Amino acid sequence: MTNIILGIAIAALSLTSCNNSNSKIAENKNANKDTVQVKSQADTSITPTPIVADEKATVTIKEIISTYLQMKNAFAKDNTNDAATAGKSLQAAFINFDIKTLSAQQAKTFADIADDAKEHAEHIGANGGKIAHQREHFIMLSKDMADLIKIFGNGGQTLYKDFCPMANDGKGATWISETKDIKNPYLGKAMPTCGSVKETIQ
Amino acid sequence: MRIGKRNHTINMKPIKKIVLAVGILFIAIQFIQPAHNKSGQVLPTDFAKIYSLPASVEGILQNACYDCHSNNTNYPWYSNIQPMAWIMASHIKNGKEKLNFSDFGSNITRKQISKLKEIVNQIKDDEMPISSYKAMHKKASLTKEEKSLITDWMNKKAESLSVSN
Repeated sequence: MTNIILGIAIAALSLTSCNNSNSKIAENKNANKDTVQVKSQADTSITPTPIVADEKATVTIKEIISTYLQMKNAFAKDNTNDAATAGKSLQAAFINFDIKTLSAQQAKTFADIADDAKEHAEHIGANGGKIAHQREHFIMLSKDMADLIKIFGNGGQTLYKDFCPMANDGKGATWISETKDIKNPYLGKAMPTCGSVKETIQ
Repeated sequence: MRIGKRNHTINMKPIKKIVLAVGILFIAIQFIQPAHNKSGQVLPTDFAKIYSLPASVEGILQNACYDCHSNNTNYPWYSNIQPMAWIMASHIKNGKEKLNFSDFGSNITRKQISKLKEIVNQIKDDEMPISSYKAMHKKASLTKEEKSLITDWMNKKAESLSVSN
């Protein structure tokens, strides 16, 4: 019994050793039992509970879309830094999405898309200054967004699915826009109006 | 003259100390070796297992990519000298986080497509293989033909996966 208590005490100590000014105690297995126990009680009381995304998981599909649109507009203006900022926000939005309102099947679909999309958002967020590289990821992110909107809706906002045949080295690429007018996020100011509306999502 | 000489002797001492300290440090760090990235086995999720890979493509990937993007690194002789081993270990860790060919099949199809396209982009943009690696590994400097061999294959694979998805 005392061995178990001691074991737990040592485990608790080793977990909180970062906050422990005298970390040697954790190693000293032969230390006076009472001292160790008292110390461990003091430490467990300040052991932080693990951060769970659920507490902050209030992000809706509407917010994910609006963050994506901010990024799209930054790319249309060739603004690499604003795109990077939006990338970081979008990555956080995917992590903190409120999955509780979804059915099990929907949650799985969302997780699949989000798993891919948040990595693209992360790359865009981490590569401010390298707009060509950011745009490569934006092509793939836009595909994910289109699939996401197809399944989870447009968040109550009329959206347009646009296509530019010149983007992506002439292979073409789509993006989602909130305006009927074309503002090309792939070619930016060089060719702002290249492309056309392929679909209206109402 | 005298002042200059005195300055000279005063200055020599710390330099000697620094050289000695660096020397001792160099020897000391040789004892701290990071674990080698060498699993020795091929997982069922391996890139070459999940896709039927032409030998030419697989050969290029093995020579130019697998050292940092798989579970089996082919270690050169200098990999046992510190701090080289640390630098390599960190490159391998970062590399595998982004892309691990040994574990490629554990990604969902959507992500496999993304990774294939990203490989194409990185090769096309000449971001990968990184230049410090190419400096030490002649085979990793890909010719134009080798590059298009890989990128064409990856593009085709990504396309066929998109259709079936």
